[in-house]
Amino acid sequence: MRPSAQKAEAAVRGAGAIRARSRIVLPARLGEYAGFGPVLVLFGGFFFAPLVLIVAYSFWQVIDYNVVQSWTLDNYRYFLSVPTYVRTFIATLWMTALATLVTIAIAFPFAYWLTRYVSRSWQRPLLLLVIIPFWTSYLLRVASWITILGEGGVLNRTLESLGIIHQPLSFLLYNRWAVIFVLVYLYFPFAALTLYSALERFDWNQLKAAMDLGAPPLTAIWHVLIPQIRPGVITAVIFVFIPILGEYLTPQLVGGVDGVMIGNLVVNFFVGAQYTRGAAIALLITAMAVAMLILFRRSLVLEQVYGR
Amino acid sequence: MSLLDRTMTRREALQAGVVGAAGLYLVACGTTSSSTSNPVTLNWITWNDHYMDDQLKAVHSSNQIDARVTLETDDSDGYLKIKQTHGQFDIASTDALWAPKFHSDGLTESFDITSIAASSQLYSIARDFPFWKDGSKTMGYPFGWSTIQIYYNPANVSPAPDSWHVLADSKYKGKVVAENQPTDLMAMAGLATGAKIPYGMTTDEIAKAKQFLLTCKPQFQKLVSQNSEVVKALADGSAWMGLENLGTDFRVKDAGGPAIKFVTPSEGTYGFIDCEQIVSASANKDQFAKFINDMEQADWIAKNFIANGRPLFNEKAYKVLVDSGQKERADLLLYNKPEEALKMTLKGPSSNEQAYIDAFNEVFGA
Repeated sequence: MRPSAQKAEAAVRGAGAIRARSRIVLPARLGEYAGFGPVLVLFGGFFFAPLVLIVAYSFWQVIDYNVVQSWTLDNYRYFLSVPTYVRTFIATLWMTALATLVTIAIAFPFAYWLTRYVSRSWQRPLLLLVIIPFWTSYLLRVASWITILGEGGVLNRTLESLGIIHQPLSFLLYNRWAVIFVLVYLYFPFAALTLYSALERFDWNQLKAAMDLGAPPLTAIWHVLIPQIRPGVITAVIFVFIPILGEYLTPQLVGGVDGVMIGNLVVNFFVGAQYTRGAAIALLITAMAVAMLILFRRSLVLEQVYGR
Repeated sequence: MSLLDRTMTRREALQAGVVGAAGLYLVACGTTSSSTSNPVTLNWITWNDHYMDDQLKAVHSSNQIDARVTLETDDSDGYLKIKQTHGQFDIASTDALWAPKFHSDGLTESFDITSIAASSQLYSIARDFPFWKDGSKTMGYPFGWSTIQIYYNPANVSPAPDSWHVLADSKYKGKVVAENQPTDLMAMAGLATGAKIPYGMTTDEIAKAKQFLLTCKPQFQKLVSQNSEVVKALADGSAWMGLENLGTDFRVKDAGGPAIKFVTPSEGTYGFIDCEQIVSASANKDQFAKFINDMEQADWIAKNFIANGRPLFNEKAYKVLVDSGQKERADLLLYNKPEEALKMTLKGPSSNEQAYIDAFNEVFGA
């Protein structure tokens, strides 16, 4: 067959294929979207629908233990007008921020040491040690600190037996500092794993090059390392900050009356069947978390986080 | 290349989804068929001291009735759950004046208590609590009761307290523990400040109660979620006073703690009398009498008393306890004095729950 005839035949075949494709394009497109079905069901059923319900509840009222569907801003007005809630929100924010800062400050040197100075064969076992606490329940991990820090706890008894103290130290528990301390312990693995993942991909030759060119180590870290692992740092901050913001159990167990966070007040509303008040304050906490995410939005590029 | 190393095609993803869904369906069918092999499963919303696992197993083997327990945090929790789920629950455990609330709102229905043979084992006073009467019928099957009082360590608390106002004494700063029950603590504050109806305080009375709690707040070390945490704090000496149910002194001693005492404050105290109610919308109402009859037998109730240490209403169980050498403990816990239950302010729904919770949070927030 001559080349021109081959071209013509190919053109005819191509045209036929286009017609055939146009006939199946609709089912094919539907097929593409069908893949989203399970996600839509899961997302819609387990996230969107409950969220809509919570929003609706927050604008309703409870009268004589019945949720009355009359629309009102009273719940929000109440929270914004009572200083206790504003104070508790502020206390929750600074406790969360401080706990996050300390967690990152401890996790960063650990991850740095692990990736830079530990051989790869030892990195995995050491990471395993970091996540070992996850094998026990969250409740147990918090409660164990009562046994350690309590007046009759391990620490006080040890100090007493060594003659360092003669009375148990009561300030170790049931205050804001105890809450922050235990939160740092609880969320350290989240930060350490995230930072490890970011540092693992870093090309250490760049740091060496910076120092070879005269940069002091801290300057090299600040100007070369940190900018490159920034998405990892921000992800670690988010993984730690947002769950702490809604913490209830840790302040309940080790915070005492002085270590209350906003989550503890939310629980009281639900215990007292005041679902609408509870929904409104829960949404205010969510709003804080969203504000936090928006704050970091520009810095957080998912592709960078996952190393694509 | 392993499956994890390559990208899944859409076809494979959908196929995996279909296989997974089919698997879940088969598992669900298996679960259903196994559960339907039991004639009846009663859904029971209750507290964890109303039953023991061995007891439920024994009841199941004797009459093929299973109980699926859902724990409630408080009566208000149970109230809303039953209201929102209609016939999903069959039995509800409720406290004192909450039972009439459930009943009047149509959530539960009354029954002839004499139709349950085990009721003959009850103290007669328990069969006739006036607030549970509905003509010739009763709204609930009586179970147990307890007052809330101040437990204190005499080595640290002196002189012996006689009033709720000891909680406002700054020399006990950080040395008081109580369970985190906002409505009940507000009612306690109402008693302390002279409210006429502690669970139905007026706005002025709520304000006074709130002020009292504010003066008490520094003395509270923590508000806990479980009775066991109060016991632990009193046992290890980190707390000197605790607001708790009857029997806490025994539990503290059992936990290796010091000998503690209790006082019923001069302003009076509050507490619960609880019962089991039939849920109106239940499809298994006819099984209630059979189930309760088996559950409430004296031997089981005596075991429950030994395990949980607060007075119950089964008189025959008291005799079992006496015969087994537990008389002293039973008497100290007022098991032989059911009439004492009527001297306290009975736990019930608040007439303005929202105001109670608001006031409580305003005290215990930051």
